[in-house]
Order: sequence, then structure tokens, then C-alpha cells
Amino acid sequence: MTTSTETTISRPAVLANPSAAVRVRRALQDTNTVLWRDTVRTLRQPDLLFFAVIMGVFFLVLFNYVFGGSIGAGAGIDYLGFLVPGVLVITALQGAQQTSLGLAADLTEGVTDRFRSLPMSQVAVIAGRTIADAVRNVAGLILVAVVALLMGYRFASIGGAVGAIALATLIGYGFSWLGAAIAVKVRQPDMVGMLSMFWLFPLMLASTAFAPAETMPGWLQPFVKYQPISAASDAVRGLADGSPAGEDILLALAWTAALLLVFGPLTVSLYKKEQQ
Amino acid sequence: MRHAADRSTATRLSVPSSDCNSKTAAWPNGAIDRGSVSAGLDTLSAMLDNMSIQNTTALETTAPVIAATSLRKSFGDVEAVNDLSFSVAAGQVVGLLGPNGAGKTTTVNMLATLASIDAGSASIGGFDVATQPDLVRQLIGLAGQSAAVDEKLTGRENLELFGRLYKLPGQERKRRAAELIDKFDMADFADRVAGTYSGGQRRRLDVVAALVAEPPALFLDEPTTGLDPRSRAEIWDAITQLASQGTAIVLTTQYLEEADRLADEVLIIDKGVVIASGTPEALKRNLDRDVLEIHVDEGDMASSLELIGGIEGLVTSEAERRIGVPVGDDIASSLEVLRRLQDGGVSITDFQLRRPTLDDVFLSLTGAPTEQEEVPA
Repeated sequence: MTTSTETTISRPAVLANPSAAVRVRRALQDTNTVLWRDTVRTLRQPDLLFFAVIMGVFFLVLFNYVFGGSIGAGAGIDYLGFLVPGVLVITALQGAQQTSLGLAADLTEGVTDRFRSLPMSQVAVIAGRTIADAVRNVAGLILVAVVALLMGYRFASIGGAVGAIALATLIGYGFSWLGAAIAVKVRQPDMVGMLSMFWLFPLMLASTAFAPAETMPGWLQPFVKYQPISAASDAVRGLADGSPAGEDILLALAWTAALLLVFGPLTVSLYKKEQQ
Repeated sequence: MRHAADRSTATRLSVPSSDCNSKTAAWPNGAIDRGSVSAGLDTLSAMLDNMSIQNTTALETTAPVIAATSLRKSFGDVEAVNDLSFSVAAGQVVGLLGPNGAGKTTTVNMLATLASIDAGSASIGGFDVATQPDLVRQLIGLAGQSAAVDEKLTGRENLELFGRLYKLPGQERKRRAAELIDKFDMADFADRVAGTYSGGQRRRLDVVAALVAEPPALFLDEPTTGLDPRSRAEIWDAITQLASQGTAIVLTTQYLEEADRLADEVLIIDKGVVIASGTPEALKRNLDRDVLEIHVDEGDMASSLELIGGIEGLVTSEAERRIGVPVGDDIASSLEVLRRLQDGGVSITDFQLRRPTLDDVFLSLTGAPTEQEEVPA
């Protein structure tokens, strides 16, 4: 197309009453655009991926070599085999915290305000980000799995490895929406950071990610067994080991669905209400 | 039709005339010899030249592009915006002038669909801001305080990002980004990540990003706050250019000079209320009275008053041996006053030409007490 100095752009005509199909198509287009934006940002901040991975590696190394002896001997299991699936889940949850922090930064720096002034789907702002975080999570999970392999861990099969990473990504995606809800509600990045630790730490430690439930006190066991991080850890463990884990997988999927059903609409309505 | 009525009720309050208390010196202090007096007068005349008004002519069209009618907004007990009405025609620039917290940003946020409207109504291109935000967003561009560019993307990527969100086709948004980069002289830095930009470059990208879809209504929220004079001048040129192409622009600013330079109509806002409005010329006529302030030697006060005491509006302070003479923007009268004193043997230790600051404008408009000075009847 040749341009003259007096160009007029073919600005899209004002769309008065888009049909549902058009609205969905445009929302998907916007989600894709935000995904592109957040992915470019991720690629320009390799430190974000690095920190997500390094936490996983820390957990692998510290738990395996520091606590591994006592936990493994106590429960009579191969601790590295037990630990790796748990660490994959925890790594995916770190990704959910990035959703929180990234969205809080956008909210306070005026980026979402600009988005809000544009003719775009506002849900896409959050959907695009959570998907971008999930994509980064896959990269982080693969890197953590490689470190596990170097430490001597072996997946039962390639299919099992893919399934384990996919399920960890999925549960991480569910938690991303919890992170998004916190960010939209609280906004201030430092407060958001603290609140993210607030849910993550107790859930993470009182779970079967690092130690079998049987080693914990009886009164805690019901909680430990059924809470989402345990469900996810057990399910990922089943996929990675090739051991039967149908129930755990169902429970993990149910938790993911529950997180999405609760925090998806909640986040969107909070975000829309965020209008001052 | 409603809009036509809005226009007439929008403005034209009378502006009380300013008193001559000014605090900020636009003139260096210090002892003055003849050389520096004449150099000072050159500066003065340059200053006065700069003050000449360069407004774009307003295009009168029947319906305003932007119309606000009795807008109200409060946060808790604080009334941020109280009964604000104005309209902007295509090619017109309306300036909202006021200090921090005056309600300028809140007003822009309401018009740009970022903030809900408590009472009153607003429309952009005939669409209601409160009930048809999706349509309104297709017609507006927003830049400045309320909106940010992405620091991790390059300038070009930022422009293409907005092109994508405005649903411009791929070729079109690339071409559009390139065109804007070229037109607004951003080629030097367009392919660097925006986080590395200087304040002026970032602000330019910010304003240009609002233009991607050539919105007929543009909101610029303090587009030059904190910029160096050169960057400011560049943004001003861009705004003037946009207005001349028919964009309706709402500009908020803390700078009298900026409103003067760019706006066809200025609303001076304080605590959410319009305290004066009109063309910059009209406001200046009432507010922008320069004051020649003269300090004289001890004992020369009486003879000074004898020499120039007849001038209307003279303000004197015996204790500080200071005389304030309202001179308007008339160089000759400043010179005349100084010459008369000098010829009369008065020893002038210092003089300053003061321009009223925005503070002074507010003080005079809101009637808040100003500095204690004896004002002769």
C-alpha cells in the first residue's frame, strides 16, 4: 500500500450492536493480543523465568539432600521419586504468584487503565495474562524436570512426563485466577506479594508435596489429604510414576475447575467494579 | 439538540480582576546597574512576545464531539467534581486548568469511561459515556497521567499493540505505527524498549499511542507535566497539529502558559468546581497583570511616593521599602516609572517584574486571603 502524506487510516467503523459471536471472536482476538504482549514481556525479563525455576531447583536440592534422608527413611520410600512431582506442582504455583504480581504492577502503573479506555474485551486483560503465565510455567516445569533428571530422577514414561507437566500446568492455571483475584482486589504490589505467600506457604507445607500424609499428625491428615496441592501432587506423582492415580487426578481436576469457577467470575466482576 | 444548549450554558462566567499580589519573581534579584536594566528590558520584551496567543481557530460545528453536562463525582465525603459542564467541538481544544487535586483527572477519567459518573451526563460523538462505554471507547484516545505505555515493549511495539487492540488489520497497524513514528519524529528511539526512554520521549510515545486509531476525541491528562521546555514544545506542536486536523481535545494542565498556548477555551477548576472560564485572552485580560516591584533606599520611600504615587493600584510596603506598580504588559509604563524615579534622584536598590502565578490566580479567584499588604484606596 502506498502512503501519501495525507493518509487517513481505515479505522474500523463504530460497532454498535455486535452479535454474541462477534463479541466472542473479538474477545479471543484481544486475549491473543494480551498473550502476545505478556509473552514478549516474559522473554524480555528472563529473570522472571529464572526465579520461577530456581525456586523449584532449590526445593529439589534442599529437600532431597537436607530432609530427604529422614523423610525417606521414616516413610520407607525413595525420597527423590516422591519429591519431584511435588516440586513440579510447587513450581507451577510460583507461576500463579507471578500472575498476581504482574497484574498488580499493571493495575498500579496505569497499563490496565489504558486498556480500559480501549475498545477491547476487559476479560481478555486477565485471560491473556493467565495464559501467558501458563505458557511460561510450561517452560519452567520442563527446566525443573531436566534438573530432576540430572539428579537421577526418572519418569515412568515420556507420556507420563508430559501428563505430569500438563496437570501441574493446569492446577497452576487454576491458582493463577486466585492470584488474579488477589491482585485486582488488593492492587498494591507489595501487599499482593505478601498475601500470595499467605495462601501458598501453609498449603504448600501442609501437603503431600514434600512428605507423605502418613508422617503427619492424625488431626491434620484429612486436610492434608484432600487439599488442592496434595491432590495435585498425588495426581502428578501417579502420572510421573505410572502408578494408578485416577481418583487423585479427578480430585485435582475438580479443584482446578472449582478454582476457575469461583475465582474466574469473581476476578472479572472485581475488575469491572474496579472502575473508580 | 441537547448539545447545542449545553454549549451555551457551559461557560462564560465573569472573572473577578486579580489584585496585584504576586509572589514568584520572574526576574533575577540583585543590585541593578544600567547595563542589566537594559538587558532586563530585552528579556521583558521577549517574554511579552512569547505571551502572544497562538490559538487554532475553533471549527464551529453543530454538535460537539465531547459534551459534559453537570458532571458530579465524589469519593466518600470528598466532592472531586461538582457540577462541571463543557463541550468540545471538532478541532477545538478545551483546557482544564487547576492544581493537583482540583478534579481534572477525575473528569477525564469519567469522560474516558475509567470512572463512573455519580450524576450528570457525558457523551462522546453522541454516545452516552455511562450507558454505551463500548461505543465510546471506539471514539476516544487517552494519554497522560491516567494511562501508561508498556515499558518492556519498544515504541513501535506499543503502537502496534494498540493497533491490534483497536482491531486494525496487520498491514494497516504496521503502516500506521510507521507513519506515526515518522510524523512525530520518533525514529531515533522507536525501536528501543520504552523503559529506556527519557521523560520527553516516553511522553511523546504516550500521546502518540492515543492516536493509533485516529480517535475523533482525545484526552490528554497533563501531557507535559515534568517535561523539559524542548519536549514540552514538541508535545505542544503535536497537539496543535491534531487540533488543526479536526480532533476534539480535552487537555488538563497545571500550567497557565500551556492552557494559554493551546486551548481555545479554558476552565479553571478548583476543588472540583469551575471558578472561571473563557478564552485565554479573556482570562488573561483579567488575571495576567504584571507588577513592577521596586525596592528603594532607606529614606527614599517618601520621595518615591511623591514621584509616582498618583499611579492607580499602587501597592506599598513601608517596612520593606517596596512599591508594587501594576504595569500590565506595557513596557513603556515600566520604563516610565523607573525613569521618573531615577530622574527624581531615588536610589533603586532592586526591581522585579512579577507575573501572577497560578497560585495568585487561584487566590484572587477563590478570594482566599493573600499576603498582607496595604492597598491604598
